[in-house]
Amino acid sequence: MKVLMFTWEFPPFISGGLGMACYGMVRSLLKLGIKVDLILPTKEMVYFPLVEEDDVDKLPAVFLETDKQKEFDTISFANIKERLDYIGVTTHPESYVKMKDITRYLHVLESEETTFFKTKDAHDRMLEDAIFNLIGDEDLIRKVQEYTLRAQKIASALHFDLIHAHDWLCYPAGMIARKTSKKPLVVHIHATEFDRSGGPGDERIHKIEYAGMMYADRVIAVSQYTAQMIMSRYRIDSGRIKIVHNAFTAQPGLNGYKQRIFKGPTILFLGRITLQKGPDYFLDVAERVLKIHPECRFIVAGTGDMGRRLLRKSAELKLKNKFLFTGFLNRSQVEQILKASDIYVLPSVSEPFGIAPLEAMAYGVTSIISKQSGVSEVVNHAFKIDFWDVDRMAETICYLIENPDICLKMGQDGKNEVNNILWDEAAEKIRKVYTSTLSEYLESISL
Amino acid sequence: MLNIVFYFQVHQPYRLKHFNVLDINKSSSLFDDNANKAIMQKVANKCYLPTNRLLLDIIKKFDGKFKIAYSITGTAIEQFKLYSPEVLESFKELVATGHVELIGETYYHSLSFLYDHNEFLDQVQMHKDLLKSEFNYVPETFRNTELIYQDRLSDIVYEIEGFKTILTEGVDRILDWRSPLYAYKNYSKSLNLLLKYYKLSDDIAFRFSNREWPEFPLTVDKFVNWIDHLTLSEKENHNQFLNLFMDYETFGEHQWAETGIFDFMKHLPQEVLKMKHLGFITPKETPDFANYQQESISFPEPVSWADEERDLSAWLENDMQKNAIETLYELLPRIKQHGDENLLEQARKLTTSDHFYYMCTKYFQDGDVHKYFSPYDSPDQAYIYYINALADLEEKLN
Repeated sequence: MKVLMFTWEFPPFISGGLGMACYGMVRSLLKLGIKVDLILPTKEMVYFPLVEEDDVDKLPAVFLETDKQKEFDTISFANIKERLDYIGVTTHPESYVKMKDITRYLHVLESEETTFFKTKDAHDRMLEDAIFNLIGDEDLIRKVQEYTLRAQKIASALHFDLIHAHDWLCYPAGMIARKTSKKPLVVHIHATEFDRSGGPGDERIHKIEYAGMMYADRVIAVSQYTAQMIMSRYRIDSGRIKIVHNAFTAQPGLNGYKQRIFKGPTILFLGRITLQKGPDYFLDVAERVLKIHPECRFIVAGTGDMGRRLLRKSAELKLKNKFLFTGFLNRSQVEQILKASDIYVLPSVSEPFGIAPLEAMAYGVTSIISKQSGVSEVVNHAFKIDFWDVDRMAETICYLIENPDICLKMGQDGKNEVNNILWDEAAEKIRKVYTSTLSEYLESISL
Repeated sequence: MLNIVFYFQVHQPYRLKHFNVLDINKSSSLFDDNANKAIMQKVANKCYLPTNRLLLDIIKKFDGKFKIAYSITGTAIEQFKLYSPEVLESFKELVATGHVELIGETYYHSLSFLYDHNEFLDQVQMHKDLLKSEFNYVPETFRNTELIYQDRLSDIVYEIEGFKTILTEGVDRILDWRSPLYAYKNYSKSLNLLLKYYKLSDDIAFRFSNREWPEFPLTVDKFVNWIDHLTLSEKENHNQFLNLFMDYETFGEHQWAETGIFDFMKHLPQEVLKMKHLGFITPKETPDFANYQQESISFPEPVSWADEERDLSAWLENDMQKNAIETLYELLPRIKQHGDENLLEQARKLTTSDHFYYMCTKYFQDGDVHKYFSPYDSPDQAYIYYINALADLEEKLN
């Protein structure tokens, strides 16, 4: 079986959980013998034909245009990074596509492509909806437009059995690929606009998400929590939704040895400092705990649009030098901060899954996770508390500080547990989704 | 008779490194040695060396008729020694003329007066010791960091041996109808008080090169003419003092050489001294010239020479500044008790007022000045590094 997969993130770049999840998932799919043609928002129009397991690290690339491929073949690259730089997979996906290279999306829609979208059955109207809601001047929207425009060419050039698209950024592309190739489409919900915005969010993105899920043959949700969300908010038929929990991708060479920075208990928030992640609840918890245990330190690791507000608020609360900010951390710095922490808190307001707690647990850090998260469905050796229940969180942290043996034991149990949450199992579930989708689809067209 | 009292503030802080959480409790230094060295050498070349040379020439030329006073902080002197020893030598040469007064202050240019009296006294003594060892000089005039002053300060300074005069800002809301051109006494009449004449001081320090300023360009003739006009207010032959107080870095650093600031300063003394009723003296000499009963003046609330407000808001207005400084002064006694001299020295370098100035968020007219003087991208960054540094010191206790 061969899958055409659209995703916006893939290592070497990881901005959130999506890139890491795709990496672990694809590697395990390859192990199962499923081939994947990966489409990323690259500067050059290329695809990555992945066959062997270690292709996820090598990322072999093929140009769609033969001239460019010939040129590409003549160049010898010193290493993988150099080759990826040439294709335009840099460490920041924002720079994948240069703004000036972006074709006039609307112009294309209004000319040659128009007939393509003109079929007026209810199903195709979803495609039209997705395409015509992808309008706007924001850099991200325009990059998604460019990515989407390539889908038709890609889908006609490649041979595959099924299409798999991750999150709204890739839904329009996946939908066009389905229309072009007449192969079934699986969309994968890692997060909805409701999760990301922490409020009503962007109307256009809601419409694209809705259209994508309606148009798709199957919807994969990363958790029961997310499945509930898309049933209640988007009214998606539960029969078409399959839940496949994310798993944990262990970093090669991970050793969980503690390397303390602080003598006192160290409590960590790790993630984007945005409304969704609940950093303000972390601050409220810190204020409560520090009144009882002034010897501990609270660390906020990450950046985000709420950073300044959180910093000023922490100063206002006079938390002295007990509430610290790391700013942006690279991969190895994230490891350092995890090794220095005793307790990890995920106070997310809405977390479809949440890879970060698994990572914290893999380092033996005792975790307190929001009940409003997908990850709380898959782990047992962690404290699960409503994000808004700051008193409970504070009490739990105090309890762990006062009972360091229990804290250590919980961390150790969590570590063992996480190491058994494997992508191989998740990939097996995805394989089943693929085969059932395919057979149903084949049945439907043979009728 | 009107005497001009020139006092120049010479100060360089130890700027903090971009100090991350992950740097905490490691052996590395808190301070950005490279930046401190580069800035010191830049300012030495643009300001300290050429200005010292110029003023030394003028002092020698007028043989006692032109005089000036300096307040040089301990952190500046330390960094001269580290990065630009020739600057310290040139200051010694100036002091050796006998026509230069040195003023006492806190060694670390700190706000300790507001938070910790013992620390304040320690730092003043450290600075006195430094003036003694470097210049063999015993100061008689005191100025607190950024000319911060209130009645309470005069009580403390009065208790320190040797100080007879204090300098501060001529704040309108305190002076009311009174003129800053006279020497006053502090509220308890125990010390001589000199008030900065901020309009003419700031004409040189801030407005000299400002093309938007209606009086631009400021010529020596124009300036001397303004000074001459001030003497019209003189009554009953009471001697007046025009207190021109400013940062020394005005010369060549804040006002670049291209603005003509050096020419201005070169020609000002000779034009002033052409007038029989104008002269120059230093702060400690003013009581001898005050041929009248000095009125006492009370400063119930603290004032300073910073920004339009002339209060403490440049350093102690927002929550970041308050949390940072309160944390520092809570930590300081614990570090003293702990007894590690190295830790104490680092903590004291963190008492320097500039660290709190960098955290200022008043981004109006004055904010520009704050921004220009900050080595960090934002007040928030300055705060983060500072708080991390305080966490580092605390972790190194025990």
